Amino acid sequence: MISFRNVNKHYGSFHVLKDISLEVNQGEVVVVIGPSGSGKSTMLRCINRLETITDGELVVGGIQVHSKQTDINDLRKNIGMVFQHFNLYPHKTVLENITLAPIKALGQDDKKAHETAMFYLEKVGIPEKANSYPSQLSGGQQQRVAIARGLAMKPKVMLFDEPTSALDPEMIGEVLEVMKQLAIEGMTMVVVTHEMGFAREVANRVVFMDEGEIVEEGKPAEFFAHPQAKRAQLFLKRVLNH
Amino acid sequence: MLNFSILTKYFDLYFQGFLTTIEVSIIGLICSFILGVIVAVMRIAPLRILNWIGTCFVEFIRNIPLILIVFFFYYGLSNYINLSGFAAGTIGLTIYTAAFIAEAVRAGIQSVDKGQMEAARSSGLTYIQAMKHIVLPQAIKIVIPPIGNQFINLVKNSSILGLVAGMELMYFADYVHEKTWISFDTYIFAALFYLVLTIPLSFFVNRSEKRLARSY
Repeated sequence: MISFRNVNKHYGSFHVLKDISLEVNQGEVVVVIGPSGSGKSTMLRCINRLETITDGELVVGGIQVHSKQTDINDLRKNIGMVFQHFNLYPHKTVLENITLAPIKALGQDDKKAHETAMFYLEKVGIPEKANSYPSQLSGGQQQRVAIARGLAMKPKVMLFDEPTSALDPEMIGEVLEVMKQLAIEGMTMVVVTHEMGFAREVANRVVFMDEGEIVEEGKPAEFFAHPQAKRAQLFLKRVLNH
Repeated sequence: MLNFSILTKYFDLYFQGFLTTIEVSIIGLICSFILGVIVAVMRIAPLRILNWIGTCFVEFIRNIPLILIVFFFYYGLSNYINLSGFAAGTIGLTIYTAAFIAEAVRAGIQSVDKGQMEAARSSGLTYIQAMKHIVLPQAIKIVIPPIGNQFINLVKNSSILGLVAGMELMYFADYVHEKTWISFDTYIFAALFYLVLTIPLSFFVNRSEKRLARSY
């Protein structure tokens, strides 16, 4: 579904992504972990071309993401994205947040878009907030709306960029629960997170990054029990023992 | 005491000028707003040639006097096209005001969180759609006060039409002055007509600023 082949990215002289190769199969949940500044979010943002790559190849659903011939808007319709800071549109209601792209980018009629939006709002558990503005919602509710907004496009892949990092601790659970449900239903997901519990429980595969490289990847049970790389061992020691 | 007989005797002229001033202001307001937003988007669009054109426009227009722009359209182009004072003045005023509005709107757009554009683009909307539905509506809220002030300046600057026979308030005030030679009173009455326009406008700007601040 997603394949990175020897992808490099430079910001000037700074080598952000170093020779990244990674395959994500359909229906797979890949969780990317690693210290801050390790390039996790940058890698994720390359998948829908919010970031460009310097060289290598990145293919999503058979389409070259960084080719000049690619209609990036068409590709993005199939890739949902959830951000750390939700990025809901503050001047639009919850319902309008969700229906905007289906109406404007997919050309759905208002009625169909509304029905779809309500379906996904039910799914994330807050249909009663349809006519509220984002500022009237808690952080956890806002992030669930953001997930519903992504899903309403019926994407083939969902990308999550530290979806719980900006949340108060008591709201993290409700967002992770929605994501877990999605995983169970077979959505292809790439999740950048610091939630080790989620990685262990939901991921099909864990990818550990440090200093722009993929240092180690493997099944969560094996990775958490017996990390091979020294850097992964150190990292896990730090995040798990506190 | 003001000599009110001037006002009563020449009220028709004052009023005709007043209506023309309103007309220039409304046309100028709409056109300079549209042009200003277009130039602002050009200045920040992800295309260097557009940035360059937008920047040239703003820097060129902002840094020359309004009267020069108006004279360019009135006298400067007279060999090629014959614009009336009204047309030349309105075009000059629109272009001049648009440069200032463009700067205000650009600042407003850039103060909208980058995550808004990213969220809109990553859902498959085009750059133009994201601008139109997501970024500009939020930027407008931020730029209402500076744009409101530009509109008030526009009304006052419309007096430039008096110099190119634009038949607006200042033109007729000069005319009344030449008839009566009572300078002080004649221009005080003209000032009052301007205040009738600018004070409510200024009040309206303050109010919409407050209302927008509460809107979400």
